[in-house]
Amino acid sequence: MIAILFDGIVQGLQLSLLAVGITLIYGLGGVLNLAHGQFAVFGGVCAALLLAQGVHAVPASLGGIAAAGALGVVVDRTLLLPAYRYRGEERLLLGLILTLGLSFVIDGTLNYRFPHFSLTLHVPLQSVTIAGIPMRTAGLATSLIAILVFAALFAFLRWTLLGKAIRSIIENEVGAELCGIDPARTRTFIVGLAAMMAGLAGVAQGLFSSLGTEMGPEFTILGLLVAVVGGVRSVNGTLAAGVLLGIVNAFASHYIGAYIAFIILLSAAMATILVRPQGLLAHGT
Amino acid sequence: MSARDALARYADLAVVAFGLALVPLFAGDSPYYLRIATLALVYMAWTVAFNLIFGHTKQLFLCLGALAGSAAYVSVVLAKELQLSPWVTIPIGAGAATLLGALFSYVSVLRGLGVIFLGIVTLAFSLIFHNAVLGLRQLTNGETGLVTRGLGFALLEQPKPGYYVFLVLLMLSLVAYCVLMSSRTGMAFRALSDDELTAELAGIDVTWHKVLAAAVGSGILGLVGAFYAFYNGIVSPSVFSFVGVDIPVLIALLLGGMRTRLGPVLGAAAFALIEELVRPFGQLNVLVYGILLIVLFTAFREGLVAMLRKVFRGSGPRRDRA
Repeated sequence: MIAILFDGIVQGLQLSLLAVGITLIYGLGGVLNLAHGQFAVFGGVCAALLLAQGVHAVPASLGGIAAAGALGVVVDRTLLLPAYRYRGEERLLLGLILTLGLSFVIDGTLNYRFPHFSLTLHVPLQSVTIAGIPMRTAGLATSLIAILVFAALFAFLRWTLLGKAIRSIIENEVGAELCGIDPARTRTFIVGLAAMMAGLAGVAQGLFSSLGTEMGPEFTILGLLVAVVGGVRSVNGTLAAGVLLGIVNAFASHYIGAYIAFIILLSAAMATILVRPQGLLAHGT
Repeated sequence: MSARDALARYADLAVVAFGLALVPLFAGDSPYYLRIATLALVYMAWTVAFNLIFGHTKQLFLCLGALAGSAAYVSVVLAKELQLSPWVTIPIGAGAATLLGALFSYVSVLRGLGVIFLGIVTLAFSLIFHNAVLGLRQLTNGETGLVTRGLGFALLEQPKPGYYVFLVLLMLSLVAYCVLMSSRTGMAFRALSDDELTAELAGIDVTWHKVLAAAVGSGILGLVGAFYAFYNGIVSPSVFSFVGVDIPVLIALLLGGMRTRLGPVLGAAAFALIEELVRPFGQLNVLVYGILLIVLFTAFREGLVAMLRKVFRGSGPRRDRA
């Protein structure tokens, strides 16, 4: 019972890591990134390649995360430029199709180059017992990292000048530009940051169980659902929604079976879009 | 409208029908090429439907495979479980798809969902469909799928008659499309694809027209999907997957040109050709889809029809714009 809850929270935090990137890119760039899960897989693959070169697990993971971030920056500076030329609905549509295309390009390349790939990171200690409950160290570690990253993100958005600038762009892009904020540079920074968080989620998946090249679409879809349920402009909403959906998913797949659980999850997301398009925690628009 | 007017108006359709009717002669007796040609017809009809939904009324349905698949599964399962004739169950399946499409459209207009949110809702439906098929194992036989051969549709099980059945379906879809577009409804579609608010102010019932386009489009998707299930000999989730239906149709529509009459036909034909070229490379087809999507959407948004029109206008005598 408590083990399921714990599993759900671990998975939920990981989903939140993915989803928060989607939220940030959507809020700041007005692009719904359909290649986000592929960023995660890319990060994981790079980490695995470094591992294969004999690099120690920690720098390899950091390298993978950095590689995902670099990919994000490159994508923002090249592929998404045509989308940024438009505003509003037109930009959303173009961004959606471009990132969908990108997701296929990344999936196709990775599946072709590394057909039987899987990343598994081993932790020295298999499980620890805290307060009488056995917990897997891997899950504990990924959760801790995720919580730290979220804390850092909140602090960054709340207290630094750049964070304030980012929030102002999310509120109103034109207004922020009039105040002397350069949306393009901030956007590149955020896409890079979001891609790094996706890379972290990918590496964490390798730590928690194992990561394969075919998991990109699944990551994207789950991240998208969490981002939508959390309200695509709200970072705290995304965190809450991720943990919530993670727990629901863990319980549902344990008691009713994976297919029905996923259907319940999807229906919940659909209902949220229809009833509260602005997300669970958002207060009006 | 006099007979000559009608002839002039539908001359291009007649040419297409004639040209496509000749294809089996060139394919000779090779069942392989005939199958590819038949598949191309299926995708052409689906692209015509998507043109109506996305091209004309800007509703991003990312559940084309799921709609066609719902119709296919409904008709196959009914035919199997209740021993009904496919002639009865196919219309039921197509009707189910029509209702689903109309429902999505109506709900999205009612809730004021933009392009993106409708896209996500329909994408979620795609996944629900996929998981439901896998989950309802006793009815659908899960990943393996159901064998549809011998369920009473002998006509579709021979290569050549099968081809002509789909040709008839495609022409029916095209005629339905042309009739819609040349009526007041078509005017309304054009108006609301330019600017919905202005169209609404001009007295056009935007909700009704969007739901109509979605319903007709989904009906075509479902009808062709159900026939395809019986032609294919097997119906499985992979036949109607997102990558297998939605992406090719989206690419074909962009390739041919949105909001054109023959764009979907040209686009789907071109796509069939491209797919045949990359087939030897196996897994790489996904990569090619991605590159096509990106290139088409950034550099080639008008599509083949507009390009051909430019070429012909440049060389031939100048005609006034109709």
